[in-house]
Amino acid sequence: MSAALSPGEAVLERASRSFDVRADQARTVKEVLLRRDAQAHGPPVVRALDDVTLTISPGETVGMVGRNGAGKSSTLLALAGIIPLHSGRAACGGRVVTLLELGAGFSRDFSGRENAYLNGALHGLRREDIAARMPAIEAFSGLGEFMDVPVRTYSAGMFLRLGFAIAAHLDADVMLIDEVLAVGDEAFQRRCEDRIATRIAEGMTLVLVSHDLGAVERVCERTVVFDAGRVAFDGPTAEALAYYRRLAGERSEEQVRA
Amino acid sequence: MRHRYLFEQMIRRELRQKYKGSVLGVLWYVINPLVLMGAYAVMFGVLLKAVSIEDYPLFLMIGVIVWVFFSQGLLLAAPSLVIQSALVRKVRFPRETIPASVVAVQLVTFAILLTLLVPVVVAVRGTLGPQLLLLVPVSACLFAFVLGLGLAVSVLHAHFRDVEPILAAALLPWFFLTPIFFRVDELPGLSSHRWAEALLEWVNPVAPFIEAVRALLYDGAVPGWDVLLYVAVAAALALAVGRALFVRMERELAVVL
Repeated sequence: MSAALSPGEAVLERASRSFDVRADQARTVKEVLLRRDAQAHGPPVVRALDDVTLTISPGETVGMVGRNGAGKSSTLLALAGIIPLHSGRAACGGRVVTLLELGAGFSRDFSGRENAYLNGALHGLRREDIAARMPAIEAFSGLGEFMDVPVRTYSAGMFLRLGFAIAAHLDADVMLIDEVLAVGDEAFQRRCEDRIATRIAEGMTLVLVSHDLGAVERVCERTVVFDAGRVAFDGPTAEALAYYRRLAGERSEEQVRA
Repeated sequence: MRHRYLFEQMIRRELRQKYKGSVLGVLWYVINPLVLMGAYAVMFGVLLKAVSIEDYPLFLMIGVIVWVFFSQGLLLAAPSLVIQSALVRKVRFPRETIPASVVAVQLVTFAILLTLLVPVVVAVRGTLGPQLLLLVPVSACLFAFVLGLGLAVSVLHAHFRDVEPILAAALLPWFFLTPIFFRVDELPGLSSHRWAEALLEWVNPVAPFIEAVRALLYDGAVPGWDVLLYVAVAAALALAVGRALFVRMERELAVVL
């Protein structure tokens, strides 16, 4: 699959993926047996990614914007290898670290520290690698003695602090972030952005999906605008956001008229 | 194994989730089979007098611990991917570590129970001998067997949520048809139905595992080569089929969960 991608590269080639809305719900044997019957009714297939081609070079910071269901998150999931494509190719070079949902890789009964080990292991690190990074993770999170308390007692902000602190110290070549930074307070968001800038300078690639256009503007040099599963615009962030605002305006006018 | 450390972490996670807030913790794993064994010993050995097997509680206990490993391993593996769906949908990692860690926790329990049981049985039955060393490969085969089936039922259940209830329904009659509290060749009803004896002994893949462990520990003998061969083939086959099925069906997991 990853035919000679260098660390930090991320590529989508003519990537397509659709979701059968009914297949999203778990099927029981009865439903499978009666499948043909069920397919007659029900909504059409949703094309989440429709022939998307993107080439992201090492060290790039790429924002992805678009309305709900436009294909941003599917792109991220495809790049992470979490959902397979129906056609085309999606691949990243080097170590991919995902921050797609707060506390997704956490065990609620583990302490912050134990979760750092678990999360590191999920991303393919060994115990000694994680131990070496622990002081930095602890310092960055600012959680203090909460590092040794089960995370089920954490607030959303604390989850973010821990989650980002771990993700930012796993030596990612490609980091994929979906909309999680928004829950942090402003000071911590700045700290995250500074940390990202440091890692970018070291050659990391960042792909950030967000509805927070301010954050995209501050962090990303390049931005991709998605619309209905396709790339509507791909270029410098200032131009892309201007395009997106125009598109969003048109769309809401259409809705008003309709 | 490349994901050894991840596997270790997943087992720790599994154990922690299981025993949070429980006072007796891991002891429950020992108590449950003992209660089951006690009930059968009293019922069949004392009250019904249905069997006249020497040291009946020990005879029972061997079958019970193999059965508990098998049935609990499958019953807990089946919903494991669904339970961990948040993880599967948000992080890319080797997903087989989820059902594998569940089965591994059951292996640990089995190993603890076996370690407690061996000295007692050896002392009472006088079966100390080199054949006991064969318990290690037989247990390894049992683990591979349960692991293979566990991989299969977990990924099947993620796609078709009927799998766990079907399994639960099947395991009850399966328990009674498995030679746990009887020996197949001593069943009085079978004398006129020799074909049923073959059925109980060879069609049920759990039976040879119990027979092998029982021969080594309770009888102090090396099991027949046919039993050992069966155990090895069943393990290899279950693991191969389970893995192949998992690899095939895990791709869409983030979508179906």
